[in-house]
Amino acid sequence: MRALVTLLLSSAALLLFLPGPARAAVVCLDCHDRNQFTNLVVHEPVREEKCTRCHNPHVARHDGLLMVREGRLCYSCHDQLPNRFNRGYVHGPVADGQCTVCHDPHASAGASLVNEDLARNCLVCHDKLPLEFKYVHAPFSNGGCTECHLPHNSEQQGLLKARADELCLSCHQPESLQNGHENFPADPAGCLTCHNPHGSDRPGLVRNVLHPPFEKDCATCHGLKKMQAAVCLDCHHGVSEEMMRIHSHLTRQDGNSCLNCHSPHAGDDERLLRGPLQQLCVSCHMDVIEGYRLSTYKHPAMQNCGDCHEPHASNTLSMLKGDGIEVCARCHESQGAFSHPIGGDVIDERTGQAMTCVTCHNPMGTEFAFHLLDDRGKGLCILCHKNY
Amino acid sequence: MLKHRTARLNDVVRSRQSPGRAIQERARVLSASPQPCSEEGAGRHHSVAPWLILAVLLLWICGPARVSADDSPWQWTMALKQNLLKDSMIMPTSLYIDEEKEQYYVVDSGRNRILSFNRDGELLTIFNAGRSLDTPFDMVRSDDGLIWIVEKGRNSLTSVNLKEKAVQPMTLRFDGALLYPDRLEYHDGLLYVLDKMTGDVVAFDLGLTPRKRYACSDCVEGFIDFRIHGDRLWALDNPGGKIVVFAMDGTVEERMDLGDPVTYPYSLAVGPAGYIYILDRQKRNIAVYDKTGTYKYSFLRYGFARGEMYYPTEIRFDPWGRLCITDEGNARVEVFSR
Repeated sequence: MRALVTLLLSSAALLLFLPGPARAAVVCLDCHDRNQFTNLVVHEPVREEKCTRCHNPHVARHDGLLMVREGRLCYSCHDQLPNRFNRGYVHGPVADGQCTVCHDPHASAGASLVNEDLARNCLVCHDKLPLEFKYVHAPFSNGGCTECHLPHNSEQQGLLKARADELCLSCHQPESLQNGHENFPADPAGCLTCHNPHGSDRPGLVRNVLHPPFEKDCATCHGLKKMQAAVCLDCHHGVSEEMMRIHSHLTRQDGNSCLNCHSPHAGDDERLLRGPLQQLCVSCHMDVIEGYRLSTYKHPAMQNCGDCHEPHASNTLSMLKGDGIEVCARCHESQGAFSHPIGGDVIDERTGQAMTCVTCHNPMGTEFAFHLLDDRGKGLCILCHKNY
Repeated sequence: MLKHRTARLNDVVRSRQSPGRAIQERARVLSASPQPCSEEGAGRHHSVAPWLILAVLLLWICGPARVSADDSPWQWTMALKQNLLKDSMIMPTSLYIDEEKEQYYVVDSGRNRILSFNRDGELLTIFNAGRSLDTPFDMVRSDDGLIWIVEKGRNSLTSVNLKEKAVQPMTLRFDGALLYPDRLEYHDGLLYVLDKMTGDVVAFDLGLTPRKRYACSDCVEGFIDFRIHGDRLWALDNPGGKIVVFAMDGTVEERMDLGDPVTYPYSLAVGPAGYIYILDRQKRNIAVYDKTGTYKYSFLRYGFARGEMYYPTEIRFDPWGRLCITDEGNARVEVFSR
């Protein structure tokens, strides 16, 4: 009898302390409601009740008691994905390893553990995308974002599945387009210079704001000998004067640098931009944006390059909207009063120039806290104060 | 091009490492193998005779104190700058070297003036053409003694006659189209102007009559910089990451792909031995290629200290074989010699 009791107690103790997924799930689900992890599609570790594949039951450095940082954790099993997602334009959450922005790590009603109402998922972040249009493109109104866009990465700007024109023509047959495009070249091109692929208040999804020459007389621009930026600058005198600065975006750029960012025909606002400013900047300055993204410490909330940089031209470094103090002081009003002295009376002896915010900080990102150029403990200071 | 640039991102991030780390890296490099001694030798691995090692060691020990430029054979020699506090240059954009007078001229675009230095780097004069210059950007001197200045603020090529104290801004046209002058060179009686509107180089005689155009048919943006060396015109295509070499009659003789070592090629120079030097504004370094366009090595780094680059804008060789880098961010011209 004593032997039987000893055996039973030993088995119980063994079961209690034995590490193992099955045992872990039993303990986890004692508290965590099993229904939260049940749906049409269930993540394999959840289905097998192997909670400890992702979570540490005792203590962890990461939210949700995750063993390692989110993206890295996912890629520890989905190890083919990093190489696939590393090419071309990369969706922000993917680049930051935030898989759970779109995917539910436990269970979901949609395939690939994505919310079945995909569009609602997208619009959580893309909340500035106008939803109210008089005329709406069918795929957009049906919530079919992935009919045109790839969710992870793409070789095309805007994470498009293919070149914009190709994508349009995959549904809209060229022959059918001739009716609405008199005198248009045989092969329609540049659809998005006139049409908004989501919706518009004009028939035919023509963008809401028309370029006056496009509205009145095409020959104002077309038919001229050359279609360089000069055609635009002939009317836009203010921009023409901006081009007489040290640094400008005046380049040939496939014939006309203006058209790299602006549509000559129609736009969603009076600037006639071809897309969100940040997206336009990335199309050429991918390396700058990637450098920012890869940095450990960087200026937060930089959603719009135009907050700090002039889009056309500037007489300052990096085409900033002011010098290394003016640009920062628009938000950081009081920093100069209590931090290291800066300004015209404080000279950086290394260069003979006035010390500014960017003497110590690089808002585009560094590996040091407060996006400093070196360690604030000592490294930064001894760059100038060598005897310290 | 997109993939090309993305693949080089890690290099960019690495190049922005802290100056403190860079010092440690420099120390590591200094304690490594002997430095290459010739332009052709840099970046090449080969067996070295013992007497050569001894000679290098002796030179190393007995030579003057210097700042190493990474693992390159280039040593910081001097800086051309205005030492008076509160009168430093603001965004210098270019350097012109007068071989005959043995003088350097630095265009100080932010203060609308030109500073001249002697061959030893001592400031000689400060010239502002009677305060009439408006955002000068580049300059040359023609054989007739006239100074030609690209003034961005006037969108002009301005001639300055020092003897007559006459300043004459002139706009440039080619085939009726207005030009936006950017970089400027002088060679064999002709002024070569880079037009920012088209990205083409246009040659003018001294009467400003256009003579020839050097255009790139397969460049997205046209050229960003050019040099005339060995009776050939070398032009740099920034987004295409390549050099186009023209004969002086305008025919394209050669194209060189710069490949991965550079992210944002901004200026070029051809060394005395024919090596090609490419300034990378994004990585803040210089990539060196041999005559065939084969990459050899890179040197320099991001920073504000001596021998470091913040916003480098132009490189060129002086007639004495020294490499001069105009750094508008650090408001100086750094001169390196071998």
